[in-house]
Amino acid sequence: MEHYVPILVFSVVAITIPILLLLVTKVIRAGSPDPIKAEPYECGVEPTSFALDTRFSIRYYVIAVLFVVFDVETIFLFPWAVSFDRLALFGFVEMVIFLAILLVGYVYAWKRGALEWA
Amino acid sequence: MIDATHYVVLSLILFCLGLIGVMVRRNFITVLMSLELMFNAVNLNLIAFSFRLSDLAGQVLAIFVITVAAAEAAIGLGLIIALVRLKDTVALDEADVMRG
Amino acid sequence: MDFLVVNFAEILFYCLAVLTVAGGIGVLVFKSPVHAALSLLFTFVMVAALFLLLHAELLGAVQVLVYGGGIMVLFLFVIMLVNVKTLAPEQAFLSRLAPLAVVAGVLLGVLIAFALIFGVLVSGHGDGTALRTVGGAEIGNTEAIGAVLYTTYLVPFEIVSVVLLVAMIGAIVFGRRSAGLEIEGGGGES
Repeated sequence: MEHYVPILVFSVVAITIPILLLLVTKVIRAGSPDPIKAEPYECGVEPTSFALDTRFSIRYYVIAVLFVVFDVETIFLFPWAVSFDRLALFGFVEMVIFLAILLVGYVYAWKRGALEWA
Repeated sequence: MIDATHYVVLSLILFCLGLIGVMVRRNFITVLMSLELMFNAVNLNLIAFSFRLSDLAGQVLAIFVITVAAAEAAIGLGLIIALVRLKDTVALDEADVMRG
Repeated sequence: MDFLVVNFAEILFYCLAVLTVAGGIGVLVFKSPVHAALSLLFTFVMVAALFLLLHAELLGAVQVLVYGGGIMVLFLFVIMLVNVKTLAPEQAFLSRLAPLAVVAGVLLGVLIAFALIFGVLVSGHGDGTALRTVGGAEIGNTEAIGAVLYTTYLVPFEIVSVVLLVAMIGAIVFGRRSAGLEIEGGGGES
């Protein structure tokens, strides 16, 4: 349990600093609120639409799924890398098979143009 | 130290919250979130028993559950997109025919 | 102060448990999907902390990485994608099956009663040493999982890659532009 003390200290500092900064700026700033100031800045041009009124491109979904899949793949790489000495060649071969199966999906995504932002 | 029973009861509460969410909510996205809640409850249970029995099998199984949950979320959210494309709604009740 | 030191693990557990359940309830009651998603993220992080309490250090990290980092991003992207603001959250709150929730509530009560009555069977706890030991040598939780995962659970490990492959291909098929019905707008593109 005492190994987590640095993490606890780190979390407390990380949470305190933004709260402190927000409080300090709230106290010392000169406030003159204006609804126009709250609008998104589009290089000085009148904004045509707001974030929640427009739909994102479907491409974001495909990219996000690819990210999640390779994120999960990384999860399996961590314990493998740590115990690589123990597993030796056998472990290497099985990870190559694992990666080869995922590579099929990657090649499919590439061929279908899922990675192109056009 | 905490008794393993506490973790089991906590995971039970979490699982039933997810179950109620799946049954009660109409919004497809929230239903999927409740499903993730249930996955989390299952993982908590597995790891509590892994700790109780001093057996790593529970933790390994939990990794597989997390992987399947990720795949499920990807496909489930794809279904939401398909539903929105076809019917322009995220209400689960609208998906009541086999043909679009 | 002595009470705090002696019962530190218990206090930590009960705080985390209450926060976890609060996050779970938040998922159910928030009408806005974005708020529900953030509540879910909070629950994920609390569960990760519970994993650490249970000496599952790797699982705690995996929970934050995959759920907090990956799945949550996916959820938020899809919420942005389907533009829930125009979809009238008031109408999309309760489903026809809502009365079944009463049944689920009763079920919950019965199950908790069972768990408490027969909880004696699972009462007690390990010391976590076995969870970071391989072949008599005490190492880390990650290495211990690696030693088991890539030997005893070799076949499930390889099959999991097929599950991930299916998820990837399914997403590409769902996200295909030539599906005929295009989500219009595309304001997120520049």
